[in-house]
Amino acid sequence: MASITESVGKLPLRLRNFFARYPPQVYSALVAPRPTAPEGEASAEQNLPSPYTADRDAKGAHKEDREAFSFSRALLHNDPSNQNPFLPRKIFTTGKWIGPRYGLRQQADLVKLAIKYNVEPLLPPSTKSTEYKQARLAERGLRIKGTGIGQKVKGHKWERTMEARLEDRRKAMTEMPEMIRLWKQRGHGRGWRQWPKR
Amino acid sequence: MAKKAKSRTIAVRLISMAMTGYYRTMIRPRLHRPLSMLKYDPVVKKKVLFLEATKGGKAK
Repeated sequence: MASITESVGKLPLRLRNFFARYPPQVYSALVAPRPTAPEGEASAEQNLPSPYTADRDAKGAHKEDREAFSFSRALLHNDPSNQNPFLPRKIFTTGKWIGPRYGLRQQADLVKLAIKYNVEPLLPPSTKSTEYKQARLAERGLRIKGTGIGQKVKGHKWERTMEARLEDRRKAMTEMPEMIRLWKQRGHGRGWRQWPKR
Repeated sequence: MAKKAKSRTIAVRLISMAMTGYYRTMIRPRLHRPLSMLKYDPVVKKKVLFLEATKGGKAK
């Protein structure tokens, strides 16, 4: 971390201003506690929705469990004494929400700038951070049917049965000379017994 | 009223034994034995055996 903090002087003004306002020693993702999954509780990634739901909004479709532990959600640490400027907060006395100090667009700008100058870990936890995005991707898959772990694309019926059909055809073609020989031997069909069913 | 007489010939389906699903339709006399012949199957691009498919029941 020392090498990162030394390079702070070379940063662009926008990042320096940010770090002056929100010193990494207090706010950064590095000092935020690492989330750990509670024992014996199913995490959100284990109950992934089945890839075969007809429609995500269909009645009875699997909904994401908001109560289950999620590593990506736990990453967004918000210390009440030092408010994370990238996260909204709730005032419990009034029940109202206050938006983040930096909007999502500004957050994205800052994160991109920080990535460029190799100081991303010094920013507070954000939904725009690489770590959050990776954790979320791992949890949810690509949100395209069949791309998650243990899922597969259903495909058309002709695609699913293609292999078996080609195998049948290959087998039939290897037996074809013998079949023709037999057919010729039995009077070109006169003594043939096994006629195919339609 | 008397039933309508059955036609003398019937249309039959000859199925490729290469299991490609390709078939030919032919007409044969009703009382003739089932048809079978070597014909070209464009799916496997070869001459293969075609056999008449029985419609439910067994062939004579």
